[in-house]
Amino acid sequence: MARIELKDIQKSWGAVKGVSDVNIDIEDEEFIVFLGPSGCGKTTTMRMIAGLEDPSEGAIVMDGETMNEIDARDRDVAMVFQGYALYPNMTIYENIRFPLRMRGVPKDQHDAKVRRAAEFVELTDYLDRKPGALSGGQRQRAALARAIVRQPQVFLMDEPLSNLDAKLRQAMRVQIKHIQRELKITTVYVTHDQIEAMTLADRIVIMEKGAIQQIGTPDQIYNDPANTFVAAFIGSPPMNLVEGTLEGGVFRAPGIAVENLSTRHSGQVTLGVRPEDCTVTGIPTHLSGTVYGVEPTGDVTYLTVKAGDKLIEVKADRDYRATLNTPETVTFDLTRIYLFDTATGQRLR
Amino acid sequence: MSNPSLSVSGAAKAAPANPARPTMRRRSKRMKAALPYLLVAPAVIYLMLITLYPGVYAIIQSFHEVKFGPWRPVGLANYEKLLTDYQFWGALWNTFVIGSISLILQCVLALALAFYAYRDPWVKGWRIIFLVPMLFMPSAVAFIYKLFFLDGRVFADLLMKIGLIDGNIAFQSSTWMSRGILILADVWQWTPFLFIIFVAGLQGQDEEVEEAARLDGASWYAIFWNISLPMMKPIIAVALILRAIDITTMFTNVFIITKGGPAFGTETISYFIYRTGFKFFNFGYASAASVIMLIITIVIAQLVVKRAFVSSRS
Repeated sequence: MARIELKDIQKSWGAVKGVSDVNIDIEDEEFIVFLGPSGCGKTTTMRMIAGLEDPSEGAIVMDGETMNEIDARDRDVAMVFQGYALYPNMTIYENIRFPLRMRGVPKDQHDAKVRRAAEFVELTDYLDRKPGALSGGQRQRAALARAIVRQPQVFLMDEPLSNLDAKLRQAMRVQIKHIQRELKITTVYVTHDQIEAMTLADRIVIMEKGAIQQIGTPDQIYNDPANTFVAAFIGSPPMNLVEGTLEGGVFRAPGIAVENLSTRHSGQVTLGVRPEDCTVTGIPTHLSGTVYGVEPTGDVTYLTVKAGDKLIEVKADRDYRATLNTPETVTFDLTRIYLFDTATGQRLR
Repeated sequence: MSNPSLSVSGAAKAAPANPARPTMRRRSKRMKAALPYLLVAPAVIYLMLITLYPGVYAIIQSFHEVKFGPWRPVGLANYEKLLTDYQFWGALWNTFVIGSISLILQCVLALALAFYAYRDPWVKGWRIIFLVPMLFMPSAVAFIYKLFFLDGRVFADLLMKIGLIDGNIAFQSSTWMSRGILILADVWQWTPFLFIIFVAGLQGQDEEVEEAARLDGASWYAIFWNISLPMMKPIIAVALILRAIDITTMFTNVFIITKGGPAFGTETISYFIYRTGFKFFNFGYASAASVIMLIITIVIAQLVVKRAFVSSRS
């Protein structure tokens, strides 16, 4: 229900730069995820959209209107906080009703709206309890209900699932995505969890040290990383990055030799290959090393091979087993190999 | 203390004399049982000596007629006399009036200041400064106010200098003006105490909750009324009880500034007890008055604590 443009946003506290040169166009009804490690500026960027933080420079525009001077409470955004931020002195019913009261929604509509929001998140049985009497997942849903009850222009979610256990997180993820699609509300979601980002987002904004590294759909981010930071941040286990030399289409590093690379570059490069694009073949092709570790997980076995002093992660067959320190060879899928400039970390195309 | 390795006595026997290992100490069962009592004993003994003993002494004394000679048991006679003593009831009323006005004023003032200033980084770092009025000796504060309003006529002089009044103001001759001085002195000295407690309480509240309320559309006073204040209830209750107990026993200011006058108009219970005991040397009667005071204080404190804590829980 709203288009958000961030134009040349900067945020600094004295000499400390929190966010620099952030330019993003968020489409109406889009689900956009800010992804990055802690301290990368993603939460600060979101708080600037909310109006809880003022940008040092740049403009925040919603539906064509510059929002910089508009107070947080007049921006019509709803936020779900990491710690839920429920009002501990009120019942869940009162918590969900609070935004309606504050925004002067006619009283006779309150009950229906509160109950509808509670139904949406399956919380109708707990309306008369106080937040302290609910579990983490229920509090999470209460916070969600409070955000959706007044149908805001924009949803902001600041790591809303990080305090939940893995199983609940997965269930809530599906619920959040479902609710967002149903209500068609522009959503900005902050997380450091790449799985959350990949599963929820229409587009992902990857940030590091206050700057945007790449913006794209989950597929683009995964299949076409712009630099080594993005390449290593997305994927589990992360992409293998090996520094070496490139000479006439041949990449060499200790224990590794990849020929027939169709590239015009040469010199010091970093080769990237995902564990799922490596196969154990038994024939010496691209990598020859020794078995460093074998980790069976049930549906897949992770093999770590030592080549030179570098550890390479391989997603092997579920039945794969090996003895430590025995020789092993690995073949890379040449169509899914990435080359990066070692000095800058930027992708070589 | 709860190092698990200390209690594994079997393992100690199984692995003898390993030089790398520290010696394992075992505590006797009796020592373990006695430890908690030993730890609280100093505090309990101290409290007994300074409060329980004089308390019990006063209660026993209140059933006797005690002048300078031997104690003469009189049963409930002292209490019966108190019931019809208009000076005692007057002192109760004065304590209530002066105490409640001063308590309300300092509470409202401290809350307002605390809510205004608690997010200010300067206040966060330097809140100790606000404690300065509390560090004054109470009698010194009383003398300052006595000089300012009564003996030194500073206040009246100032008003005359700017041409607001022509002559001196006779604060001593007006009950309400005298009460006003007592209230002002108490508010001046003790608002900072409440301010510090309230600031700490507000700073302890989750900042995210306030931000959530802002995004929900709440103005600052809506946040204060709907969220901060209800969450502060238990803290306010405890702070008020501390102050209320202190105010019900208000003595220094009365003794130094007004001496209970004019016409007993500012005589508080403490001053009444002092006068009965140490001017008329009627110790049994004074003890009876203190016992009643004690009961009133306990009942009020209980009620406030119960209400504030029950409503903030559940």
